[in-house]
Amino acid sequence: MPERLTRRRVLLLTLGGLSGAALLAACGQGQATPTPMPAGGSAAPSPTPAQASGATASPTAPAVVKTPGSTVKVVYWGSFSGVLGEAEQGMVKRFNESQNEVQVDYQYQGNYEETAQKLTQALAAGTTPDIVLLSDVWWFKFYLNDVLLPLNDLFAASQIDTKDYVDPLIEEGTRKEVIYWVPFARSTPLFYYNKQVWQEAGLPDRGPKTWQEFTEWVPKLVKTEGGKTVRYAFVHPSAASYIAWLFQPVVWQWGGRYSDPDFTIRIQEDPAVEAGRFYLASVKDGWAVGSKDIVAEFVNGAAVAMMASTASLRGILKSATFPVGTAFLPEGPKGFGCCTGGSGLAILKNKPKEIQQAAFKYLAFATAPEHTMWWSQNTGYMPVRKSATASQEMQQFYQQNPNFKTAVEQLPKTRPQDAARVWIPNGDQIIGKGLERVTVQFEDPATVFADVAATLTREAKPVVEQLKRREGY
Amino acid sequence: MTRRRHWRRFLGRIFLSVIVALVTILMGVPLYWVATGAVKTNREIYTFPPIWIPRNPQWSNFVEAWQAVPFPRFFVNSIVTTAGAVALELVFALLTAYALVFLRVRGRGLVFGFVVAALLVPSTVTLLPNYLTVARLGWINTYQGLIIPVAAVAFGVFLFRQHFLTLPRDLLDAARLDGCGHFGLIRHVVIPLSQPVMVTFLVIYLVAHWNDFLWPLVATNRLEWRTVPVGVAYLYQVEGVQNWGPILAGTLMALLPMLVVYVVAQRWIVKGIGGGAIKG
Amino acid sequence: MGRSVDVVEQERVAKLATPSGSRELSVDLRGRLGDWPLFVLFVTPNLLLLIVFTYWPLLYNAYLSLMQWDLISPVKLFVGFENYRFLLEDNEFREVFRNTVVFTVGTVGGTVILGLLFALLLDQPLRGIALARGVVFAPYVLSGAAVAVFWINMLNPRFGVVAQVASWLGTVSPNWLNHPQLAMVAVILVYVWKNVGFTTIVYLAGLQRIPQELYEAATVDGAGIVERFRYVTLPQLGPITLFLLVVSTISSFQAFDLIKVLTNGGPVNATTTWLFYIWEQGFVAFNAGRAAAAAVLLFVFLAVISFLQVRMGERRVSYD
Repeated sequence: MPERLTRRRVLLLTLGGLSGAALLAACGQGQATPTPMPAGGSAAPSPTPAQASGATASPTAPAVVKTPGSTVKVVYWGSFSGVLGEAEQGMVKRFNESQNEVQVDYQYQGNYEETAQKLTQALAAGTTPDIVLLSDVWWFKFYLNDVLLPLNDLFAASQIDTKDYVDPLIEEGTRKEVIYWVPFARSTPLFYYNKQVWQEAGLPDRGPKTWQEFTEWVPKLVKTEGGKTVRYAFVHPSAASYIAWLFQPVVWQWGGRYSDPDFTIRIQEDPAVEAGRFYLASVKDGWAVGSKDIVAEFVNGAAVAMMASTASLRGILKSATFPVGTAFLPEGPKGFGCCTGGSGLAILKNKPKEIQQAAFKYLAFATAPEHTMWWSQNTGYMPVRKSATASQEMQQFYQQNPNFKTAVEQLPKTRPQDAARVWIPNGDQIIGKGLERVTVQFEDPATVFADVAATLTREAKPVVEQLKRREGY
Repeated sequence: MTRRRHWRRFLGRIFLSVIVALVTILMGVPLYWVATGAVKTNREIYTFPPIWIPRNPQWSNFVEAWQAVPFPRFFVNSIVTTAGAVALELVFALLTAYALVFLRVRGRGLVFGFVVAALLVPSTVTLLPNYLTVARLGWINTYQGLIIPVAAVAFGVFLFRQHFLTLPRDLLDAARLDGCGHFGLIRHVVIPLSQPVMVTFLVIYLVAHWNDFLWPLVATNRLEWRTVPVGVAYLYQVEGVQNWGPILAGTLMALLPMLVVYVVAQRWIVKGIGGGAIKG
Repeated sequence: MGRSVDVVEQERVAKLATPSGSRELSVDLRGRLGDWPLFVLFVTPNLLLLIVFTYWPLLYNAYLSLMQWDLISPVKLFVGFENYRFLLEDNEFREVFRNTVVFTVGTVGGTVILGLLFALLLDQPLRGIALARGVVFAPYVLSGAAVAVFWINMLNPRFGVVAQVASWLGTVSPNWLNHPQLAMVAVILVYVWKNVGFTTIVYLAGLQRIPQELYEAATVDGAGIVERFRYVTLPQLGPITLFLLVVSTISSFQAFDLIKVLTNGGPVNATTTWLFYIWEQGFVAFNAGRAAAAAVLLFVFLAVISFLQVRMGERRVSYD
């Protein structure tokens, strides 16, 4: 009889939410002599409180909350944390305080890659944010799948002159004259150098005009002790720290390119291979080294020059124990070349009109001349508006911080990156791993780039098909 | 003769002590490194020769990490999630293993195989499907979303089953004759006899859930629902220079609770893990 | 009852030596349906969760493995076994397979062998042994990502601990994490450092369970340290070793955080393991079909390996 009682009781308890403690307590009732638990028994954790709070303290928060009244709430997913995150929070705060129609809710989702992954998952589940920050290599993927909102009408309605956005930046997010991806946290590669070593070597206080000139300087920069190199002239990043981004301008300087806009791969052709041979020589001759963390090598004085993003400038100035110089990228045999990078903002499709308009209000605010200026000064990213760069405030800032000026002066000479890196999924890493074969494994660029080209061509195929469907040619 | 033996013993002990000390130092250097790194400036971290004893400890790194993100809230979330998941798993593992060992049912072996084979499913492949399931249930940004999908046990069932197979059958029979039902058996005989395995179980699962990064990142998308490991990721820069001091300080704060668990459980761990692993 | 538990515990220890088969209770308290209702009640919640959150994803994967899909597009293109064919012919995947074998053998071998050595050492009644045990076990409770973060710092050839050691030795440290061969060595080392505490503690418990009489008997028979280890310790640790081999192999195949943060699978593909490849194909390259096919293959491969391990292990263990 006690047995059946117990069973029924358990069933009820189970229906009422399976609880471990309840199950354990059940026998006490059926037991003739309720004995206290032995001493060790107290070690068994009691799961009830935790579970109870788990069950009660969890109001489900939908992605978009529309409160009654006139305020529209907009959810914004981004990748900024740390110092950049504070700046971004500051921007959102300024926006929210500047008006009372739209309330932006900024939510960090991990780095660029993780944010793109989360957006992918959210799309599959239909729980997307309203605004999203996407990096240069990710936005196209979402454009291809037609989930980003065309922004031309919204730009026109709010009477913003899109011509005021820096040309190479806004062009990168434009397809067939429709804007999908608005530049926000944009960077370019810069040439960084260690002024102290420059001075000791008796070099002029400027970056090299050409790579040729730099190789002439190299013997004065490299330092060896007992046959081992303790100071390198230059440092190459790894695939994960975006070597394919930093090699992009070098390929152009040698007169080559990764690919044509129609995905015809060109990296295996002579000019690009020659640029690769230059990289190979740099490591083979022992004046450059490959590293996972180039900034650490530079700040530590283990390498005295590098190409790195403008976004690193503030941190480098803070960490370096020597004066830091910045310069334009050196020219190659075929002249100058420089690309842009970083991330921009997009608005998701299939949202109520008022949400989209509200989201656009933030997008316009964050890229408005006075705010892009503020953002730039606080992060090291470049102002995305021509009028901002020309403004007196910015000019004054540059006077006091000449290193920040380099990027802006170089900006008009930049151009959008080749399709192979930014539009082929994983293209950045495919090229990057190829470059690691050159800088780490000392393989011949001719064979390596042929392999890379084959992989890129293969991986580009579905994109080309998708693009045909999307843009109809 | 005895004296010489004594002498040899003494030398042997010295030799062993030196080796143990060496092992301890080798294993301990990384722990020391993270502890001191947490109070260094970026400049001190990026310098050669490395600084072993920070001359000017930057305690502000801890303050900075603590203030950069709502760590108290992350700790609450982590504690609730970890405790909830581990509690559920403990109950599930006990019940499943009990049923597999003590209940006379055909096809038990099949059920056991089915449970244990779950260990072989590559962990990253469950992310997307589980996100879809949880989103469909409306569980994104909830404790149930953080807990339920990870609350199924496979390894724990294996641990308990191996242990139950060693329990003295006579005692269980006697308890039954005394009128104890299955629940009485579980409560008064099986659980008291399983303490070492339970400690093992708790250590393994507490550590696994406390440190889990991928699922909490996927199952939440708002600051107030994040857990500690995801919180530490908030200290990183997406581009530019990492601010190592606060990152290491945050890392250290994140792992302190587990060290406390270890110190508290230490007495039982040695006994317990063996109890779980040894097949009778 | 409190007292009786101690007695029970002693009985249990005494019984450990006797192997036992089925443990169903002799006393029958079952109703007409036998133990079925209770069995279902006990097993269902866990099984349900396993089905929904582990096996359903696996099935879904099997389905995706026949598709070409970028994870976003509403259309999935059916390609049959194309993804499998691709993987089996792909050079990169072959390299990934090789890496996985090296990583698994290195980490499993490292944790198990070092674990046994450490356990033998830490079993000695020396002063401060508790501290030593604590230090050896502590890394196990840390998160893989956190461990990787400070190891990157330590392995930096210019200002990390390795730089200091190299300069003491009068040389320059190689660039561990960016070296075609050493990167894998470094990843294995860090993994072993983090996980050896677990195997050590399990072995330690095993050592403490070996009946002292066995050693005494062996000593009486004239066995020295080496013989005692060979003929008493090792065979007695047989079941534990089997347990550790199986468990370590499975968790080694599931290693992710550590590799992600330490090397991100590089340089080139030098540290890309099978699981990492699945993640990379799925979430970085957005090749959902290819990732799914690799996942299905990994599941099958792991099942075969575990089965063989247990089979061979059981034979070996029972012979000794």
